[in-house]
Amino acid sequence: MYTETPKEISEIRFGLMDPEQYREMSATKVITADTYDDDGFPIDMGLMDPRLGVIDPGLECRTCGKHSGSCNGHFGHIELAAPVIHVGFTKLIRRLLRGTCRNCSRLLLTEAEMAEFGDDLTRTRELDGDVSDVTKAAIRQARKADVCPHCGEIQYDIQHEKPTTYYEVQEVLSSDYPELIAKAMQPDPDDEEDEGMAPPQLAEATGLDLSRINQILSGGFRPREDQREALEDALDVDLTEEDLNKLMPSDIRDWFEDIPDDDVAALGIDSTSSRPEWMILTVLPVPPVTARPSITLDNGQRSEDDLTHKLVDIIRINQRFMENREAGAPQLIIEDLWELLQYHVTTFMDNEISGTPPARHRSGRPLKTLSQRLKGKDGRFRNSLSGKRVNFSARTVISPDPTLSLNEVGIPERVATEMTITMNVTDRNVEEARRYVANGPHRHPGANYVRRPDGRRLKVTEKNCEALAGQGEAEAAQVVDVGWEVNRHLVDGDIVIFNRQPSLHRMSIMAHEVVVMPYKTFRLNTVVCPPYNADFDGDEMNLHALQNEEARAEARVLMRVQEQILSPRFGENIIGAIQDHVSGTYLLTHENPRFNETQSLDLLRGTSVDGLPDPDGTDEDGDDYWNGRTIFSELIPDDLSLAFTSSAGDEVVIENGQLLEGTIDEGAVGAFGGQIVDTIMKDHGPTRARIFINEVSSLAMRSIMHFGFSLGIDDESIPGNASEQIEEVIANAYDRVEELITAYEAGEIESLPGRTVDETLELKISQTLGRARDSAGEIAEENFEEDNPAVIMAESGARGNLLNLTQMTACVGQQHVRGERINRGYEGRTLSHYEPGDLSADAHGFVRNSYREGLNPREFFFHAMGGREGLVDTAVRTSKSGYLQRRLINALSELETQYDGTVRDTNDKIVQFEFGEDGTSPVRVSSAVDHDIDIDGIADRVLDAEFDTDGELQSFMDRWQRPTNLSEHGEEPVEAPTDSQPARPVAAEVDDD
Amino acid sequence: MVDVSNHTLVPEHVVLSDEDAEAVLEEYGVKRTDLPKIKASDPALPAEAVPGDVLKIVRDSRTTETAVNYRLVIQ
Repeated sequence: MYTETPKEISEIRFGLMDPEQYREMSATKVITADTYDDDGFPIDMGLMDPRLGVIDPGLECRTCGKHSGSCNGHFGHIELAAPVIHVGFTKLIRRLLRGTCRNCSRLLLTEAEMAEFGDDLTRTRELDGDVSDVTKAAIRQARKADVCPHCGEIQYDIQHEKPTTYYEVQEVLSSDYPELIAKAMQPDPDDEEDEGMAPPQLAEATGLDLSRINQILSGGFRPREDQREALEDALDVDLTEEDLNKLMPSDIRDWFEDIPDDDVAALGIDSTSSRPEWMILTVLPVPPVTARPSITLDNGQRSEDDLTHKLVDIIRINQRFMENREAGAPQLIIEDLWELLQYHVTTFMDNEISGTPPARHRSGRPLKTLSQRLKGKDGRFRNSLSGKRVNFSARTVISPDPTLSLNEVGIPERVATEMTITMNVTDRNVEEARRYVANGPHRHPGANYVRRPDGRRLKVTEKNCEALAGQGEAEAAQVVDVGWEVNRHLVDGDIVIFNRQPSLHRMSIMAHEVVVMPYKTFRLNTVVCPPYNADFDGDEMNLHALQNEEARAEARVLMRVQEQILSPRFGENIIGAIQDHVSGTYLLTHENPRFNETQSLDLLRGTSVDGLPDPDGTDEDGDDYWNGRTIFSELIPDDLSLAFTSSAGDEVVIENGQLLEGTIDEGAVGAFGGQIVDTIMKDHGPTRARIFINEVSSLAMRSIMHFGFSLGIDDESIPGNASEQIEEVIANAYDRVEELITAYEAGEIESLPGRTVDETLELKISQTLGRARDSAGEIAEENFEEDNPAVIMAESGARGNLLNLTQMTACVGQQHVRGERINRGYEGRTLSHYEPGDLSADAHGFVRNSYREGLNPREFFFHAMGGREGLVDTAVRTSKSGYLQRRLINALSELETQYDGTVRDTNDKIVQFEFGEDGTSPVRVSSAVDHDIDIDGIADRVLDAEFDTDGELQSFMDRWQRPTNLSEHGEEPVEAPTDSQPARPVAAEVDDD
Repeated sequence: MVDVSNHTLVPEHVVLSDEDAEAVLEEYGVKRTDLPKIKASDPALPAEAVPGDVLKIVRDSRTTETAVNYRLVIQ
């Protein structure tokens, strides 16, 4: 089989193209504007010349002899009758015109200046700076010269009329100079002191003969340059007018041809690959037909590509231009045609130039020419190159399956039979490969394609599958054998890549093991929802089958879910118990309930634990019982010891794999930093952590099913006396608000520092009402039972918090828009139900009811206002942060940590001298509360592993008694060494503690 | 003018001798221009530094005691 050896591209150099090169690579000169003749054959030297490549199947390319599909096509060329400007370089042409001499074409800089800019350029290139800054400065400097430092020619300003016209602005003697002079000699009627100037005076002032002055005044003599200036000085008039001299492309080409190589080098142009005159086109390359295929419509009519249409226009005008010139047409007509040719060549390259009407199709649609093919979202770069669609991928809705391991993904059979994995047949797996092939393309563990060693690909069908597998009589050459490739169906245990967009962090793409299942959705364990940020309200996910052993091995080692349990974002686990899992472990361990043997075994049914430990005791009936914590302890590794505070607030103590005390809740086993999961992952590795998470989730599900867990409307109700208390608290707050308003109206409110009186009032009202809601919540909380499901969820961290509970049961509280009480609506009031200027709580969006009691219409309206702002905020925030993230990713994407620990970009420039300043990975360091690494623990483990008996260890430790190294000037008096402690020489040692 | 180098937040900037600078470049296997840059107009620059010098900057770090950085002085 033929495989390409990867090659490294060391650099890509961009430059202009030599017109000679266009001609050399051209397959044919194109001179005919037509495409096909009446018989439907392409015309020779026309735009569809068969030497430009083939698009019709069956035809042979006249240049390379290949057929359509394998022939990439060949460029042709059009000899332009007159040079035209390339639109892509108009800015550079303008700069060169302004910076070079109109006579000798040298750069308008002295040798010294040129050398200086040359040095500047090399330095900027070395430092990776912006080269255009330097070249722009050089042009700016060159433009200042009025006279060429090399030949002394006077320079004129260049005016650029977009897109492709250039003028030279010359100051010439005004045609009505006698009138201008005569007028300036007259006394100014508005100025009494001005007596005007008589010719003799003028002659004296200018140093000219009186007769000459008279000649000038009569128009009989045109003053020369210096005489004009003398006249202008004497009379204080401007005798010049601007004359625009149009520079034809041929003039510009001649001008550029004479620029020396060394001079363009000072402008950062490498003359070996780009000569400035090549920016003026004399030859136009004709793209191969494969780049502009014509399509045959249903009615047999051919429809040509936009590019072909444009080329037809160019050739037509080109032809007309030549004919007219040969016929000796007047200059005006020639110039018009020249401009037309320029227009067509311009729009051929870019049809969205400002100031130029776009070339249109007959239907009025603007043509899609070269630049439009590349630019923008639907262009070649963003759509066809960066945004390719891939084979071997599948997408469907996801749904949960708690029976799967977190490493697995359930795949519908229909996907498994459609998506294949490439299997290289060797003498070890021929039999297996034939078994797949024998099943055909529709029976599940089958195969869809095979590839013979000669590269031919065969589709496996119901008819040929048995023959291919070697069953029945078939030619030996037609049977799958060593060296073949078989595209077999996905089967259980295959590794695939699973992804949910937006892929914001590396855990958005993880490798899973396949489990083929019935029905039509991808199934995943609920514990992998946090890393993907997935839920099951209709989310879809993508799946990619890996096609070679290297990719499969890499995915298994690096990308498998269990390898991604720790998040590099915060260095703790992102996979762990969520929602009902947390409620389940809470119910199991909080009050440490008792279970009989049957119940205990049922709880542990989903785990690998297949026997119960010693019972914790016997109940009054004489039956053995086990506590919830004992059962949970069965899942913990035997050598785990841990102590921490749970999110429920009690101290959790685990010693030698036994949960002695405390509640297991979100802080212990939850996603986003559950202590036990995190510790197991770091101490025992990913496999043990995966087993633990799987078993915790299945134990938790059994546990929550044992107890039963539901939340109804009555779980949010509180006793009548509690309601009365809440009423009272709120009524008090209302009274206090009224008092504040009265005080305000009486002008008795004193403003707080930095605030107006109005703001102070608002603040105080808000505080009062906020406190009222909080104390209402506290009252409600006191009246909840410990086993209230909402309380359990809030306390264990499974879902919701106290505020949610307060709002459901006691009081929803103040609604906000723009961080203030609701203030909008009518003039001076929020709703027409209130007096203008009413500052009361009700009038500004305080909702005194709870969700359970229900909101009254006004409250509901205010609540909707606040709720809507929340929705808008999230929508805006996600798009803003998404774009920010995209920019960050693009800026950082090419940075790479090298083996020496430095972070460098692709040019080997150093960005960080040590990754993250400390050279550590966030997932490889301890996340203990005090952020210290347990060095003693590590040392003990190493020593334990090193020595078999305590005696050996002891003798080793004794051998290494470190000498005391306390300073003589230490605060503590140093004890004199006794004879039993032999003093050792202290090696030169630096103590940096 | 305030001398910012006395400010607590401005880390120590030291000009390296030519040998020391070469040793640093040797250690990382880079050219002078591959180092991060610092403008000659930077207020934290030591007075004796000229373009082309290599500075050693020792910063406090949250994760390690100090973090050492090198920068090339440019115009």
